[in-house]
Amino acid sequence: MTFRKILVAGLSMMLWFQLLMPVLLRAEEIIDVIEISKQASGRISVVLDKTIAKGSKEAEWGQTIDANIKGGLDFTGLFNMMPAPLNIRNAQNGTINFEAIGSVGSDVYVTGTLTRKKGEPYLDMEVYDVTGKQMLKKWYAGQEKQLRPMALQFCADLIELLTGKRSVFGSKIVFVSNRSGAKEIYMCDFDGSNIEQVTSTRSISLTPAVSPDGRYIAWTDYTSGKPDLYIKNLSTKTTAAVRKAGVCIDPGWVPGTDELATTLSIDGDQEIYLIKSDGTVSRRLTRNRGIDVSPTFSPDGSRMAFVSTREGRPQIFIQDMNSGVARRLTFSGNYNTQPSWSPGGDKISYSSLQKNGEINIFTIAPDGSGISQLTSRSRDNEYPSWSPDGSMIVFSSTRQGRRKLFVMNADGTNQRPLLQMEGEQQQPSWSVIK
Amino acid sequence: MKNTLPGIVGLAMILLAGCSSKSAVSTGDSTGAGAGSGTGSGIESGSGTGSGRGVAGPVLGDIFYDFDSAALSADAQEQLKQNAAWLQKNNASSVTIEGHCDERGTDEYNIALGERRAVSAKEYLGSLGVKGTRLSTVSYGEERPFDQGHNEEAWAKNRRAHFVTK
Repeated sequence: MTFRKILVAGLSMMLWFQLLMPVLLRAEEIIDVIEISKQASGRISVVLDKTIAKGSKEAEWGQTIDANIKGGLDFTGLFNMMPAPLNIRNAQNGTINFEAIGSVGSDVYVTGTLTRKKGEPYLDMEVYDVTGKQMLKKWYAGQEKQLRPMALQFCADLIELLTGKRSVFGSKIVFVSNRSGAKEIYMCDFDGSNIEQVTSTRSISLTPAVSPDGRYIAWTDYTSGKPDLYIKNLSTKTTAAVRKAGVCIDPGWVPGTDELATTLSIDGDQEIYLIKSDGTVSRRLTRNRGIDVSPTFSPDGSRMAFVSTREGRPQIFIQDMNSGVARRLTFSGNYNTQPSWSPGGDKISYSSLQKNGEINIFTIAPDGSGISQLTSRSRDNEYPSWSPDGSMIVFSSTRQGRRKLFVMNADGTNQRPLLQMEGEQQQPSWSVIK
Repeated sequence: MKNTLPGIVGLAMILLAGCSSKSAVSTGDSTGAGAGSGTGSGIESGSGTGSGRGVAGPVLGDIFYDFDSAALSADAQEQLKQNAAWLQKNNASSVTIEGHCDERGTDEYNIALGERRAVSAKEYLGSLGVKGTRLSTVSYGEERPFDQGHNEEAWAKNRRAHFVTK
């Protein structure tokens, strides 16, 4: 195992918290980053000890913290969680018995202490490896109602410590549901909790997409009687409309910009155009007979993957944004749509309507190599969207009858429902929202 | 005002069963109290007698498409000729052509496909002399299926262009 020490300044941590979390949490720390050898399952084994708390209020808060840490870590599919062995603490002096951690096959030990400072919860968290080396010591302070964000902030820190990557915590998923009888846009936390309704158009609202900086949400709805595009500024609550003759459908944002690409048919054919966040058309991107739809961009914004019927059946193409030159990406199957470019840039997920009538989710490298089928024999699985850290994919599935949202790890393992909600859910898009 | 009446459509379909044009499912507009009187050709009843005019609303037959296609079949062209004939007799009315898809395939793509279906019908009517200013199009993709079923029989009915008079 290799060790390296990182000193994280308190100020930069505070900035980072403000970016990620709706509450201000403070911390100061010295972190040891450690590479943990993953087990055969690909999971990291963690002993999660019960948070130590004196006093009934503190104990109640501690239970909420424990439940949210467990739920948060469990959601990622990265961990095997084990209860603390009975002999975890030495009976005489209360010190940690690290041999006990190794003996149950765990890689790391997590322990916390919850106290009350000025009437509010104050959480001290410590993480150790099996040799007894302290990997993280950090405190989290907030109000009573912020116990969940405090717990999830710790989960985010732990995952960054163990994997070197940002976590899904703090991200949101926007999606479509017909719960109210009409299709409207909704938003929930990364784990399906805190569902909020975004639109109340009572028409048909479709294909929500959040801008890379989290400031805008764009979608299509039929308020005017036909499918037009709307771009809402989430902080000012103002909405710009893109109402052109024909369709205005299926927006995809360009990373690092305030522009999105969407399909318009103002020129008689369904072509992809760049649109500014104020709703004005910036420029036309495609120029071909047939349908061009569903743009998604490489993380550096230099390439666009999209669906085109220029060679007959719908297939995915990649176009260079500077030269405008496009090449076909998918050759297997007659109906490949819904591309989504991974945040790491190395994969594009998409759905394929197969000969047996099922729709299934695949990934492919941007050079056309390494096709991998992620879903099978579970009816229709559609609309894959990557988590901001690239570790997971959210999608819709009819495997239980009605169309519902599911998540899976990026390799297709650990497929499970995201949320329980009335009606049908579809077209999920995973985002970081400010 | 747009107000499709499924019951009328169903009745029209029963009446049309066995007629030569298998694709000619007629649909009634809101005013179509007498719309059950579809003829074998799928045009509205009463156009020859005149007496039915006040009772039967305009009835323009749907046209149907193959999967993932906006191409007009011979049946579809025949139905469009009948629709064009009605539109030329009733030249005060204008029509919204709705493009629809079956539930297979993906929703976003199908909105684009539905538009191509509506536009293909509009262009054909235009080629038969119906003024483009009387015709508008809207695509509903697979959002407004005529038949809620999940089989080829239902899908075949849902891959359509539907005509709503104003």
